[in-house]
Amino acid sequence: MRVELPGIRHWRHDLTGCLHVAMAVLLQHRGLNPVEVLGAAWSFDHRPERLRREEYYFPGGEDDLLAALAPYHPLTSRWHSPADATAGWLEVRDAVAAGQPVAVSADNYHLPFRPAFGDVHTNHLITVYGFDDELDIALVIDSVPPRYRGPLPLPALAAARDSGNPVVHDRDLFFTGQPIGNRWLEAEVTGEIPAFDRDFVRLAIERNAAALHAAEPAGRYAGLAGQERFLLDIAGELAEGSTGAIDETFVVAGPALAVAGLHAEWLAHAGRVLGEPRLLESARLVERVAHHWSAVRIIAGAARPDPAAAAGSMRSRTRELVADHVRALESTRRAVGTTALAR
Amino acid sequence: MSHESTWATVHRRPSGIFRTVDLGSYADCVGIEFTRRPGDGAFNIWRNTFPAEDLPRGEIVDVGGVPFCFPAADGRHPDNLRCRGQRIELPVGRVDWLCFLAAAERRTEDTLSVHYADGATRAQWLRVSDFWPETPPRFGDVLAFRTPYLLYQRHAQSGMAPAIWRQRVPVTIPGDVAAVTLPENPAMHIFALTLLTEEEM
Repeated sequence: MRVELPGIRHWRHDLTGCLHVAMAVLLQHRGLNPVEVLGAAWSFDHRPERLRREEYYFPGGEDDLLAALAPYHPLTSRWHSPADATAGWLEVRDAVAAGQPVAVSADNYHLPFRPAFGDVHTNHLITVYGFDDELDIALVIDSVPPRYRGPLPLPALAAARDSGNPVVHDRDLFFTGQPIGNRWLEAEVTGEIPAFDRDFVRLAIERNAAALHAAEPAGRYAGLAGQERFLLDIAGELAEGSTGAIDETFVVAGPALAVAGLHAEWLAHAGRVLGEPRLLESARLVERVAHHWSAVRIIAGAARPDPAAAAGSMRSRTRELVADHVRALESTRRAVGTTALAR
Repeated sequence: MSHESTWATVHRRPSGIFRTVDLGSYADCVGIEFTRRPGDGAFNIWRNTFPAEDLPRGEIVDVGGVPFCFPAADGRHPDNLRCRGQRIELPVGRVDWLCFLAAAERRTEDTLSVHYADGATRAQWLRVSDFWPETPPRFGDVLAFRTPYLLYQRHAQSGMAPAIWRQRVPVTIPGDVAAVTLPENPAMHIFALTLLTEEEM
């Protein structure tokens, strides 16, 4: 039997990673615009005890990844944890045969199209959109450079999905040490997709602002205040020489960067579609916040030889990031309040 | 630690006077290696490097009409700097544009400080696009170099073609410039700096 699902296209935003890329492929298959769906929310919600060493880790997405990424859309997702590699493939094959592409966790070390092949272990996410039983292949797509779409021998896919993802050498950073476990993700549309119109854009902006200004739940870093506290706590840990703070920051900064970058894209898209130049101005300010996260990521990532030396840089970056974040929120608030977006 | 810039050739062109700045004493990162890597390099935090075989070495190169002194990379000595707030002393004189060969680990932006001989300091934006393959420039950067492959610690990856960009920063308020302080943003890497003084309008 051979299945090759239609509607599978590459998608990538340069500030995102494999998580957004894989979700975008699944959304496009359902006829949805990834920027409109994945770029609407802009929040921060981090619970350190839930952090996972995965390239596709998303704070707040431990229970329902897609719902956390796209909280203003009727979307849900569910991780499956098969008993072993055989069950792992049969479950994925069944889903694809039923017409649904799925995202699968995979260790790049075993994927011939990844630069890390045979070199570096890491916990990555790719999409399976077909298979050919006779040829013993799966059809996979991965838009993370170098972009790839095509066949993957099933033994390689099985090895990548069943990998223990071990830490072997000093380049196995951040996303290593967590077994892949044959996990796969099923995405589902549970209701009517809202139109991308003035009402939707206004509501998303208002909900984002409300979430970012809301009181923090206990035991987590949430909202603007939580974001600032998280970064300052990290700076404090760096000052004490903690390398654990480096890993935590890098894993958290990735999605924070992706979300800000994609939200900037979303605002710019809204500005163009709705003819609201003020949203384009806001988009630029949000993009500035994303660029702070680029810096945060590397301040932490490059700090390993001397974590304490990075503490001051992290503190000053935090002050700038928070100030620019407030500025961007104020700009979007004004755009909502003073243009045709107003109620 | 104090640094003194040394000057390479002054290039006179119809568009103005270009002065290449030797950043050798500021370099702190080995980002270029020969394909048989000695293993000292780490352009990014994943320890990838650009292949030296496909880049200039210690020579004046023309990038879109701007001459740069490209670092003499040998895979052992630093060939670029991560921006960490370094103050680069410059010979006092009028400068209209600061031209950079640069690349970033994910695109990013920050202000640098232009210091004038009269003591004034003014901020200007430095924006640098991502070096990562298959990633277009974001800030109007001009592609300076794209190597056909990227070096990993234990192999060379063909099909992964990283970029070095030419970016420029205007010195919008005329005056005699004495120094520039780079941003505190280690995601930005600078390979070369050239000062452009345009012909008087």
